[in-house]
Amino acid sequence: MTTLPWAIDLTNVEKVYKGKVHALRGIEMKVARGEIFGLLGPNGAGKSTLVKILMTVISPTQANGSVLGQPVGHKPTLAKVGYLPEHHRFPEYLTGAQVVDFYAALAGVPRAERKRRTPELLELVGMKDWGSTKVRGYSKGMRQRVGIAQALACDPDLVVLDEPTDGVDPVGRREIREMLMRIKEQGKTVFLNSHLLSELEMVCDRVAILVQGKVKSQGTINELTIDRQVYEVEVASLAGEENADALAGVLTSRTGARLLAGRAEETSVVTRARRVGVTGELASGEAFEIDHNMIRVKSTDANVMQPIIDALRERAYVIRGVRMVRPSLEDLFMEAVTDPSTGAALGPGASRN
Amino acid sequence: MQQTIALFLDAYRELNSKKLFWITMVLSVMIVAGFATVGLNEKGLTLLWWEFEFPVLNTTFIPTELFYKFMFAQLGVPIWLTWVATILALVSTASIFPDFLASGSIELTLSKPISRTRLFLTKFATGLLFVAMQVFVFTFACFLLIGFRGGAWEWRLFFAVPIVLLFFSYLFSIQSLLGLLTRSTIASLLLTMLIWFALFLLNTTEGIFLGQREAAVLTLERTNARLEVEEKKAAEVLAKRKAAGEDLLVDGKLPDGAADELEAASYPLRIVRQSQKDAVKAAADWKRYYSFAFAAKTVFPKTSETIGLLDRHVINDEDRAILRRFSEEVDGRPRGEREDGKARRGDIDVETRVEDVLLTRSTGWILGTSIAFTGIVLLACCVIFSRRDF
Repeated sequence: MTTLPWAIDLTNVEKVYKGKVHALRGIEMKVARGEIFGLLGPNGAGKSTLVKILMTVISPTQANGSVLGQPVGHKPTLAKVGYLPEHHRFPEYLTGAQVVDFYAALAGVPRAERKRRTPELLELVGMKDWGSTKVRGYSKGMRQRVGIAQALACDPDLVVLDEPTDGVDPVGRREIREMLMRIKEQGKTVFLNSHLLSELEMVCDRVAILVQGKVKSQGTINELTIDRQVYEVEVASLAGEENADALAGVLTSRTGARLLAGRAEETSVVTRARRVGVTGELASGEAFEIDHNMIRVKSTDANVMQPIIDALRERAYVIRGVRMVRPSLEDLFMEAVTDPSTGAALGPGASRN
Repeated sequence: MQQTIALFLDAYRELNSKKLFWITMVLSVMIVAGFATVGLNEKGLTLLWWEFEFPVLNTTFIPTELFYKFMFAQLGVPIWLTWVATILALVSTASIFPDFLASGSIELTLSKPISRTRLFLTKFATGLLFVAMQVFVFTFACFLLIGFRGGAWEWRLFFAVPIVLLFFSYLFSIQSLLGLLTRSTIASLLLTMLIWFALFLLNTTEGIFLGQREAAVLTLERTNARLEVEEKKAAEVLAKRKAAGEDLLVDGKLPDGAADELEAASYPLRIVRQSQKDAVKAAADWKRYYSFAFAAKTVFPKTSETIGLLDRHVINDEDRAILRRFSEEVDGRPRGEREDGKARRGDIDVETRVEDVLLTRSTGWILGTSIAFTGIVLLACCVIFSRRDF
């Protein structure tokens, strides 16, 4: 992965607005060419500020790095960058085709090419029959589709889409996802900013989670979740903390596991913000926790689970299920935006210094 | 280049979508049609099929061609294009920058490979398109009117297009700056109107002070002339009285109020000398006041004088001489002839002097200082627009 040239390579991006509002605090981010990259973060995390810096809409207080190999803020590079802002507003007096043509012309696309590409793009976004209708007669979803078409009008190497599925119906969302995959197949890079985590999970190769103006974590979803993978063993007929203690007794006596002090004050190995009943460490070193009738072991190795299953069976426990669990993007997101010490959601990044 | 063409095409589409643009266009054509219904013959004015006899307003004094040129340069441009159409243009263009800067719209435009300065200046130029099209249509219609009804194809009428465009650019630059600062259509429109009114007041004040200065200088000149006459008369009287052995002294002193023997010999001289002192003071005061007004005016755009340039270029010296004769005919006396020794505002000599002063103001000074002001405003706009986060 590191040998790939980067479509976006940012180092130490800072933005302090007037009035000392510190929106970005040293962003470090890499987006590989040809991938779909998702930017996540709660409201006020600085996502829009970062996108606007990339698109030269606002100037950074400090920024090192490049976009398509050129320094951030290099205007000519934007000829190869397509952009759909959130809450975009097209001139109401233009038709859909005129919108695509106008923004393509501003991007420097020659007239002949615009004439050729405009109907193609409208067809791609399912707006072929609406190209000659004025924007004022469009629904929100239709505006979004035309917005995506105009973002692709300059045949971009990098497409930056801010909430592209906003206002689009489920069928349209699916079409947009398929469209993004086709764009990726053409070797283009897609930088996606969305609140719809399930959608991002479906299409993104890599994601970054922005919290309080900083990148909390970034990588492929696999990279981000692999160290949080757990095996879960669910036993039947157990309820209450006493049963968790009983299960803990089985593990310590039969597998050589040891309990950690301060039980019930520890946090989950899966979702660190959640309090659990008992935590400990297996003889082989893997962390485990017992929450009611569920034993969770932080491991990617199935062999680790065998002595536990044996011990439970010996004591006649009914095993209702053994499964490997990997946290979803939503779990990662919630973990990133939650204060581990209090369990409360973190405040917005745009705080005053 | 295609980015510029795209912005102009977009501006045209925006204008095309505005009812006010077409209303103004139709009104322009209707005004020219109104001009066309008015005619001039050897007896007087005609309006459609009616005829109104005028002793001086007829083709004997004013050729038909000049009559229409005069209507164009004195009524059509200064009243219609400069006031009514300009207000409509300001209303129509007030939303250009606030709409351009609106959230959701500006992000898309700024993300294109075009510098902010170029983007702003092109957008500004597209705003002038409204007026350019209006003035061109109005002027072209007047050109046809004068050609067909007056028999003269007066190409100089088309000076109106750059002149009115320059005039509007002064106001539009201010409106653009205010639109940029306030991002509000209503606020930028109202403040621009207010500033335009302030400029009008400044121009009017400068015009009044110029008139007062010229009146005071003329009064001084006339008083000096009277003083010269009175001093000669007094010298003659004094010589006669001395020759007659008459003693001018009373108890060895000059009579009360007399500054010298001449004043002792002539009481009117005393009065004229006092008047001359007053006139010197008044002339000095008005010169000072005028210089302040003129300095202030130099800095700001010269809206009235810019439009006045059209009069200079469309009405030539020959036409001007005809109009002056017409004016003398209406006034009943030749220009420059005094009725009495006093100069006052409204005096035809003062008017002539003021007119001469205004004519000595070069086109370079009028346009140069005004364009410099507009340039500074646009420079401020570019700096703000380039540095602002959206």
